[in-house]
Amino acid sequence: MTLFTTDDCVLCAQLKKQFDLSAMEVQVEVLGNNDAGALAHLAWHGLVEKARKALPILVLDDSSALDEFGHIESHLLDRATRYGLATRHSGKQAGCESGSCALQ
Amino acid sequence: MGVVMPLNAETAQARTQRVVNEDSTDIALFVRSSQDDMTGWNRQRIVDALLRETFIDRDTAEKISRDIEVTIQAGKVKTITGPLIREMVNAKLLEMGLEEARRMHTRLGVPLYDVDQLLVQHNKENANVPHGPEATNLTLAEGIKKEYALLHVFSPDVADAHLSGDLHLHDLGFIDRPYCSGQSLEYIKKFGLNLPHALSMAKPAKHAEVLLAHMVKFAASLQSHFAGAIGWDAINLFYAPYLEELSDDGVKQLAQMMIYEFSQQAVARGGQAIFSDVNIYWEVPKHFVDVPAIGPGGVYTGKTYGEYEKQAQRFAWALFEVYKEGDAAGRPFFFPKPLVHITEKFFKTDGHMDFLHHICEVASVKGNTYFVFDRGDTAKISECCRLSFKLEASDIEDAKQPWKMRYSALQNVTINLPRLAFKAQGDDTKLFALLTEKLQLAAKAHGQKKKFIERLMSLGKGGPLSLLAMDLDGEPYLKLHKCSYLIGMVGLNELIRVHLGQELHDSDESIKFGLKVIAHMNIVCNKLAESLDMKFVLEQTPAESTAFRFAKLDLAHFTADAEKVVQGNREKGEVYYSNSTLFNVGATMSPIARVEKEGLFHPLIEAGSITHIWLGEAQPDKEALASFVINVFKYTQNDQIAFSPEFTACLACGKTSRGLSETCPYCESKDVDGITRITGYFTKISSWNKGKLGELHDRYRNVDRFNN
Amino acid sequence: METSFIDWPGKLCAILFVGGCNFRCPFCHNHPLVLAPEGMETIAFEEIMTRLAARKNWLAGICISGGEPTLSPGLPKMIARLKAEGWAIKLDTNGSRPEVLAQLLADNLLDMVAMDVKTVLVQEKYERCTGSPVDLGAIRRSIDLLGNSGIPHEFRMTIAPGLHTEEDVVAWGRQFDRSRSRLTLQNFNPKTTLNALFEKEQGFAPEIFSRLSALVA
Repeated sequence: MTLFTTDDCVLCAQLKKQFDLSAMEVQVEVLGNNDAGALAHLAWHGLVEKARKALPILVLDDSSALDEFGHIESHLLDRATRYGLATRHSGKQAGCESGSCALQ
Repeated sequence: MGVVMPLNAETAQARTQRVVNEDSTDIALFVRSSQDDMTGWNRQRIVDALLRETFIDRDTAEKISRDIEVTIQAGKVKTITGPLIREMVNAKLLEMGLEEARRMHTRLGVPLYDVDQLLVQHNKENANVPHGPEATNLTLAEGIKKEYALLHVFSPDVADAHLSGDLHLHDLGFIDRPYCSGQSLEYIKKFGLNLPHALSMAKPAKHAEVLLAHMVKFAASLQSHFAGAIGWDAINLFYAPYLEELSDDGVKQLAQMMIYEFSQQAVARGGQAIFSDVNIYWEVPKHFVDVPAIGPGGVYTGKTYGEYEKQAQRFAWALFEVYKEGDAAGRPFFFPKPLVHITEKFFKTDGHMDFLHHICEVASVKGNTYFVFDRGDTAKISECCRLSFKLEASDIEDAKQPWKMRYSALQNVTINLPRLAFKAQGDDTKLFALLTEKLQLAAKAHGQKKKFIERLMSLGKGGPLSLLAMDLDGEPYLKLHKCSYLIGMVGLNELIRVHLGQELHDSDESIKFGLKVIAHMNIVCNKLAESLDMKFVLEQTPAESTAFRFAKLDLAHFTADAEKVVQGNREKGEVYYSNSTLFNVGATMSPIARVEKEGLFHPLIEAGSITHIWLGEAQPDKEALASFVINVFKYTQNDQIAFSPEFTACLACGKTSRGLSETCPYCESKDVDGITRITGYFTKISSWNKGKLGELHDRYRNVDRFNN
Repeated sequence: METSFIDWPGKLCAILFVGGCNFRCPFCHNHPLVLAPEGMETIAFEEIMTRLAARKNWLAGICISGGEPTLSPGLPKMIARLKAEGWAIKLDTNGSRPEVLAQLLADNLLDMVAMDVKTVLVQEKYERCTGSPVDLGAIRRSIDLLGNSGIPHEFRMTIAPGLHTEEDVVAWGRQFDRSRSRLTLQNFNPKTTLNALFEKEQGFAPEIFSRLSALVA
C-alpha cells in the first residue's frame, strides 16, 4: 500500500500525524522533492495526471487508487485496526485552502 | 584575386560606421564582383579585413599582412584567390596563438568536391526533401548556417557536445528560425493577408475558397520562418462560419482543395511540402463554445462558435472522405496531418460513433488519422506527430480572442541516453549525475539560441524575422515570452539494456527504472525552468536522423559497448537506436500491451508523445479499431496513437498496393517504392536514411495478429 | 495466444491456437502448429484464463483457431470454461468433425463459426487442396449444420492460381445459401507455407482477386 503526498500539503500532514504509517506497512512517497523514484512510482501506477489535480492519493494492495480524503482516511483507519494500532484522532478535516495539495 | 573590402583606405571610425550601416547585400555583391574581377595585389586589403572582422589592433594587422606578402612573393604563383589569402592569414593567426581572432576571421563554406557530389547525389537526412536545385540550395545554405551556429551562436562546450554526439541540436541549418508553431486561422480571418514584403495585401476573405487561398499563402510564409511544423487549431470549427452557403458537394470540394494544396505545395525549405498539421474536433471545444464567431469579411457573424457545430462536423467528415480516397493513384496523402482530439465531450456529442468509425476506416485503409487523447479537461494543440502545447489558464483566456492563440517551441535539443549508460557502467548515481549534467548543458544551449533569436527579433519589422515581428493585434506574431524549449531523448530502451541487462519490454523492473530516468529528466527540467525562467519541456523527439547519427557515432567512439546494443544491420550501415521512450519496435507485444506500457511514460513527457501500431498489410476492421481507440482513452495514460499500414507504390504502372513487396503485384515491375510512416509522417522508403531502413526491417507488425 | 483486429469482423479478439491438424493444405501459414505442435510453446490453461481476464475490458471475444480445434478432445470443456467467464466464442474449423460441431452448437457454446471450405465439393479437387484424404460427406454435414444453426457464420476459401479457377469460384459460391451464410475469399499469400514449393507461387493479382471476390459477395 502506498500513500502519495507532498511536503507542503496540509491534508497529507494530517494523515501522517494521525497514523503510524510505517507500522501499518504503508509506504509514504513524497513528491515534489526532486525525488525521481517517487515520481516514477506515481507514473507506474498511472496516477500522474490525477496527482496534478489533487493529493494525497492512496494506492491499495490491488493497485486501485483512492483520491477522496474521506475514503483514504477510513481505509487507513481500517488498516490501523487490523494491525492493532491506536490512532490519534483527527478532529475536523483540515481544508486545503492553500491549494498546495497537488503535484506542481 | 578578390578580397573583401573597398579599395580606399579609411579612418577607423568611418570604417566602423560604414560597417554598421551596411546592408549585408552590399557586402555580398562586392565580394562577387571582386572575385569576377582580377585586381592587382593590395596588402592593405588584409589589414582592412582584420580590422573589420576581429578585435586585432592595427599594428598586428599590418605585421601579418607584411608577412603574408613576403610568403606570397617567395612562392612562384602568378594568380591567387581571396579565399586562399584568407586561409593563409588564418594560419598565421593560429601560429601567433590568436585563436579568438582566427575564429572570427574564419571562412565558412564547402569544399569543391563536396559541392560536386551534392549537386549529383541525393541528401537523405530529411526524408521530405526531394532532389533538385532548391534542395541543393537548402543543403548548401544549411551547411553554412550550421557552421555559423556551432561557431558563433553556441559556446564551444555546447558545440563540442553536439559534434561528439552527447547531444543533438536540431535544425542547426535553421539557426535563424524557431522550431515549430501552432496558430489559429482566426488571425487571417480577422486581419486578411497582410504580410511583410508581400507585393499586395488582401482584405479578409468573404468566401471559403478565398480563405483557403489565404491559409495556404500564410502557411507558406510561416514555413519559411520555422524549421518544423506549422499547426492549425480546431481547423474545422474556424472554417465553419464560411460553410453555410456551401452544399455538401461544395464542402467536399473545399476539403479536397485543402488537402491537395497542402500535399502538393513543394516550395519552402528546399522544395519540401509544408509540414502542416490540422487539429480536428467533432465537438465544439468547451473554451470556444461562447466565443463570438468571425465569418465572411472578417466580421462577427453574431453567433458563437457553439452554434456552428453542424457545419464544423460537415467539414470534418468531408476531410476524412478525401483522406479515405487517397490521391489519384490511391496513395495516402502525406499532408496535412489530421489530428483528431478525443475528449470526454466527444463521447457526449451526437454522431461521435459514426465519426469514430469513419476516421478508423481511414486509419485502416490509409493510415492518416492521429488520435490525440485529451483526458480530464486538458486541451492541447498538436503539431508534428507528437508535439503538443497544453493550454494553460492564460491560454484559455486568449481563447476568447482566438487569433491570440499562437504557440511556438524555439528549439529542440536531444540527449543521447545510451551513451550515458556506457559511461556510468552500471552505477546509478553516476548515471543520474551524468544525465543532470547533460540537461544543464542542453538548457545552456537553449539559452544561447534564445539570445540569438532575440537579437534577430529586436531588429523588428525591418529585420530578418519581419513576419514574426508583425504585430497586427498589438503583439508580435511570435510571442517570445511564451515560447517553450524542448528537451528530447533517444534510446531509452538501449540505456536500460546496458544498465540493467534487459530491455524495456522484458520486465516490470526495466519499465520502472525507465520511468525513473524520465522522471528525473522531468524534475530537472522543471528546476531549470524555474531558475532560468525558461519553459523547458520534455518531448519525444521524432529523431529521424538523430537516432541514426547517435548510433553511428557511438559505434565509432564507444565501439565495445555500442556493438552490443545498437539496433539494425551493421554491415549495411542501417543502424539506429530506439526512438525516445518507445519500446523496441521488434518486441513481441500485443498492441494493447504496447499502448498501456508505453503510455505509462506519456504523462511525464509533457510536450507530447505517441505510440505507433504497425499494421503491415493487414486492413483491420474499423469497428475493432474504434473499440481499441475507446479503450485506450478509457484505460490507459497514452497520449496519442496512430495506426501505420504499409504500401507499395509502383513507379512503372502507377498503382498502389498494400504491404511492402519488392515487385508490383499488378505489373510485376521491380521499380517500386514503399510508403509507410517514418517517424511521424508518411513518406517514400527510397528517401529514408539508412537508420530508418534498419528499423523498418525490424518492426513487429500486426500482419494478421500479434503475440501476447 | 494473440490479439487480432481482423479475425472477428467488428471485434477486437484474442486468438487461441490449438495444435495438430488432420489436413495438410499446401498453402497453410500455421504449419508449425500443424506439423510439429510439440515444438511450440504451450500455455497452461490457467495462465490463459488469467491473461484473458486482465484484458476483459479490451477484448470482445475469443477466437479459437489452429491447427484444427475440433480434433482436440478437451475442446468442449475448454470452451465451456471460457463461456462461463462470459466470453463470446468464435471457432475456426475445417468442418471434418461434424459431430463435435453439432455438440458444441447444441450446447450453445459458440457465438460465431468460420469454416474453411477449401474448394468445390469434388473429391479429387478437394484432396488436392487438403493434401490428405477427405470425407466429403462430413464436410457437407458441417455445412448444413452451420447453415441451420441460426448463429452468425461464414464459409471461407483461400484461393490460389494453381488450385482454383474462376469456374471453381462460381461453383463454390453456389453450394451455399447466401441468405443465411456469409461467404469470404482469401487470396493466397506466398509467405511461409506448409509446402515449401508453394512459396514460389503467387497469389492472384489484386484486380483479379477483387473481381473474384465480387462474384461471391
